[in-house]
Amino acid sequence: MGFIRLVIFGFIGLSVIYVLLSIYSRSIRREKLEDEWAEEHGERDSPEHDAFVEKGIAEYNNSLRPKLLLLVYVVPAVLVAVALYLTNSN
Amino acid sequence: MAYVKNTLRVLVFLLVGGLLHYVLPQHDVVKITSTEIIRMDFSGVNRIFFAQADSASAELATRDIRLINTVKRQTWLLGFIRRDREKVMVYRNEDTGWIWPPYFKFDSSDLQAEASAALSTNDKEQWAVITHYGWRNRFFTVYPNAIGIRKVDGPDVTVIPWFNIFFFAFVLLAIGMIRAMWRQFRERSIDPTLEDVHESVVQQKGRLTQWLDTWRSKK
Repeated sequence: MGFIRLVIFGFIGLSVIYVLLSIYSRSIRREKLEDEWAEEHGERDSPEHDAFVEKGIAEYNNSLRPKLLLLVYVVPAVLVAVALYLTNSN
Repeated sequence: MAYVKNTLRVLVFLLVGGLLHYVLPQHDVVKITSTEIIRMDFSGVNRIFFAQADSASAELATRDIRLINTVKRQTWLLGFIRRDREKVMVYRNEDTGWIWPPYFKFDSSDLQAEASAALSTNDKEQWAVITHYGWRNRFFTVYPNAIGIRKVDGPDVTVIPWFNIFFFAFVLLAIGMIRAMWRQFRERSIDPTLEDVHESVVQQKGRLTQWLDTWRSKK
């Protein structure tokens, strides 16, 4: 019973962290793309600018980086397994 | 106002510090003198300072508690400075299970056997390092919970608190991350919205003055 509770609440907590981190990471990428465009063209308000940013975000979505954020779920699970082993092995 | 603020700050610091001091693992250098089992009848006062019945067992209001009696080397400064003085110390030995605090301890029976195997007698002193969390309080009958026992050759051992080092490093990292995320959110979401509001307020004001102007006598 305790295990199920840990899994459910752990999953909820980690999901909050995962969502916040993915929003943050995407926001950082968007800002970088906008700065990149502004440096080359010196403006931020044009359809070309928006297309450039959206294309960059789409590329980011398909890259490995957002998938790495799934480690938010993997690392704590591994840590629990390690703690379980270290505490209970003689 | 500053007085209230500072009092609140001190209170939060004490609460968080107290919680961490209770929950984080500490290492004591001890001689184990005996192990025993007593029946405990918990009250509302000290119930929260105990874990729960052994894993997969039923939870009753009254149950047996495994205790480990020791003679402990006293310390100063949260255990960083070890002294020559000795004092008795009693540890409880309970499963924490899957629940709080997250030690995932299921082996209290084995730990009790380890404690018995590491007994120290007057003829032959046996020193051990006990990892534990929690507090001893005589007024509330509260014991720290032993997590691990390791035999050592003598009382002068160096114990490096690896877990606590990594824990506080992680906490610093997490605080830095939260601050960075908050800044990004403010810069990208709140500030532009505030600017929009400001602009529209300015426009509204322009309209308002125009409308007021219509009431003024035409020159």
